[in-house]
Amino acid sequence: MSKRILVVEDQEDLRAILRDFLSACGYTVIEAVDGAESVAKAASEHPDLVLMDIQLPVLDGYDATRQIKALPGLAAIPIIAVSSFAMKGDEEKARASGCDDYVTKPYSPVDLLRLVRRYLGETAQR
Amino acid sequence: MDARMAVRLLGRTDLFGSLSEEDRMAIVARMRCVQFLPEQIIFSRDDTRREIYLVLEGRIRLSILTSDGRELSFVQAGPGSIFGEVAAIDGGERTMGATAMTRVQALALPQRALLEAMEDKPKLTMAAIGFLCMRLRKADQHQTGLFEEVQARTKQLQESLNYQRATSEVLDVISRSPTDVTPVFDAIARSAARLCEAFDAMVLRVDKDVLRLVAHHGPLPAGDIALHRGTVGGRTVIERRLIHIEDLQSEVGEFPEGSALARSLGHRTVLSVPLLKEGVAIGNIQIRRNEVRPFSAQQITLLETFADQAVIGIENARLFEAEQTRTRELTERTRELAESLNYQTATSEVLAVISRSKFDLQPVLETIARVASNLCAADDVVIYLRDGDALLITTHHGSIPVPLGARRPIGRDWVSGRAVVDRRPIHVRDLAAAENEFPLGWELAKQHGHRTTMAIPLLREDMAVGCILVRRLLVQEFADRQITLLRTFADQAVIAIENTRLFQEIAQKSRELEIASQHKSQFVANMSHELRTPLAAVLGYAELMQEGIYGALPEKSLPILTRIRSNGKHLLGLINTVLDISKIEAGQFKLNLAEYALGRIVDTVMVATESLAATKKLALRTEVAKGLPYGLGDEQRLTQVLLNLVGNAIKFTDAGEVRIVAGAEDGHFALSVSDTGPGIPPEECERIFEKFRQVDSSNTRAKGGTGLGLAIAREIVEMHGGRIWVESAMGEGSTFRMELPVRAATAAGAT
Repeated sequence: MSKRILVVEDQEDLRAILRDFLSACGYTVIEAVDGAESVAKAASEHPDLVLMDIQLPVLDGYDATRQIKALPGLAAIPIIAVSSFAMKGDEEKARASGCDDYVTKPYSPVDLLRLVRRYLGETAQR
Repeated sequence: MDARMAVRLLGRTDLFGSLSEEDRMAIVARMRCVQFLPEQIIFSRDDTRREIYLVLEGRIRLSILTSDGRELSFVQAGPGSIFGEVAAIDGGERTMGATAMTRVQALALPQRALLEAMEDKPKLTMAAIGFLCMRLRKADQHQTGLFEEVQARTKQLQESLNYQRATSEVLDVISRSPTDVTPVFDAIARSAARLCEAFDAMVLRVDKDVLRLVAHHGPLPAGDIALHRGTVGGRTVIERRLIHIEDLQSEVGEFPEGSALARSLGHRTVLSVPLLKEGVAIGNIQIRRNEVRPFSAQQITLLETFADQAVIGIENARLFEAEQTRTRELTERTRELAESLNYQTATSEVLAVISRSKFDLQPVLETIARVASNLCAADDVVIYLRDGDALLITTHHGSIPVPLGARRPIGRDWVSGRAVVDRRPIHVRDLAAAENEFPLGWELAKQHGHRTTMAIPLLREDMAVGCILVRRLLVQEFADRQITLLRTFADQAVIAIENTRLFQEIAQKSRELEIASQHKSQFVANMSHELRTPLAAVLGYAELMQEGIYGALPEKSLPILTRIRSNGKHLLGLINTVLDISKIEAGQFKLNLAEYALGRIVDTVMVATESLAATKKLALRTEVAKGLPYGLGDEQRLTQVLLNLVGNAIKFTDAGEVRIVAGAEDGHFALSVSDTGPGIPPEECERIFEKFRQVDSSNTRAKGGTGLGLAIAREIVEMHGGRIWVESAMGEGSTFRMELPVRAATAAGAT
């Protein structure tokens, strides 16, 4: 059974890239387009890892991360922030709200995959 | 002297005879108009005589009787009364008469003159005049002689005492009357007349071409005397010497004017002494007698003493007056200085407040009101500022009640209103007397009681922006100096108003600029985000395609995808650079200080750039010293700096090598990036670190770049407390060097 990754991204293109890439790599991709949906999907689907955009409609990535980590059984779920914020303090805020790691856009999908595999405890193989 | 008489011939006109008889009478006889010689005088005790008894009140009438009983009378004016006996006088043929002039001495005995009458005048010869025979015993004579001697001695002593008294009296007057010399002159005239036995005494002072009478004592008429040689006084002054005239009436030739006056007034003997001050005659003292009787040597000396004293008095008064004047001048000068110092202190106080209070006008106006009130002795000071068509009471200092903040419409019917309308100072001596001119002003004055009122307009470019009003409850005009001071205050108030306005404008502009700058920074940050998102999609898709996620691609498309990705990354770098610059400008550029290893930064840069160097066939070498300490700084930013330097070196070098050297010395890291490129002209070595600068804009187009990289690099290095510079020569490559403190100061904007 393949690992399931929740991709939270309001931009259709970026969501598509991650979906296409991660699917091709053998993961099951669950999608959410805003923070509130991500919390709902996390609660219902119990994904193995979350890729969380920060600037989101309805509920931003910081709050969504906090809420997900507060859900029963999800306190230890790896959440990687993916942000196009580049101002000082963004990474600190992300980590403070519970993100395990922080990647700035634009990222290399291949590099991101390396990070995902590390958090899922997988070896470096396709 | 025998029993007869003693006769002394004294002059060509007068014969004095002094005789005594049994009843101790003293007579001075004076014969006139006859030239006598001593040997011609015949005395005869046995001469027939006839006694004549004369009493004339106030005047002495001496008669000479001829033997046939005719009286040859001669009248001489003079004081006192006389009992006299006229005896026969033998005269010459041409004797026109003979007289015995007696001067009454202070004798208690009956006074008689005994004269022998002439027996037969025609028979008399000039050489034989019988004169004054006395029935006198020799014993009596001796007694009389002693008595006279004692008398004379007593008189002398008395005179000396009198003289001394007089001179000390004059000195006393001088000391008592230092400012006014007139009492001194009066005392001198009085004493001179009395002690010199003169009929009168005059003190005169040179005044241009006349001798001005300044003091006079005596019954003779006296007045100014012409300053020329024809008068005794004039001659005295001109020749600067004492003049003593026995009989001025006869000196027609020498003193025509003087003798004419003497004949009209009747005086005869005149003594005049000059008042000499440092050799210059400034006047004279003149004493006169109504008889021909020269003044004694003692009297002359006395008069000279008086002259000296008069000069001392004059000089005293002059010195005193000069001293007084100087004291007055000094006092006045001191007062003026103190006042002008006060004024200066006040104006500089206002200036100090102006410079202290840049944004607030009120402290300036309050200071002006306070010091103006003090220095202009005003009961209050009001400062109005224009507010549309009204004047607004903004400031007040003083005892007259004023509604602060009240507005009064500008108009010519009150003093401040008119000053603003007419744009000139209005000074009203008394509002009560200007009711018609200032009806509203008078209404206010009736309420508050002020009278003298002045308003000085505050003029800015010919426009009155307000005024300073000063008021007094008493009617007392403001002095010119005070008006000038108020004008200065008005100027200062205008400067303060203008200053405040400008400062507020500048502050407002600054605030607006700051807001605009914040907006710009926010905009750039937003733009950068908005640009990044689509770029992320472009780069992402390209990478996935290259990875074959979307299936196999034609062989030729793979390098194209590489180019798409490389250009996309370049665009991303540009966006990041612009974002950094906007942060620097907005003051939001901050360092994240943490421990770092310099060697790791060099490795990161090496890895990131080696493929680029390889593409250009350049050797990329690194030399990192062993055992470098950990540094404290922003690793990411320092990496960015080194990346920029190495990237530039590779970009501008077409052959050779790029070398990175890292070491440490004296508590700081030393980093250098050397290349074998074309080099940088010396004049550019500093400018390339400025924003939007590159060595050559054509080169920039060829090589690409924003021209911002080095500016950002310098900012980062300097925020770490280090410095960056370039050493280069044309054709010999360039070496960029950095000195970085091993541990950056945490104050450098670190979080």
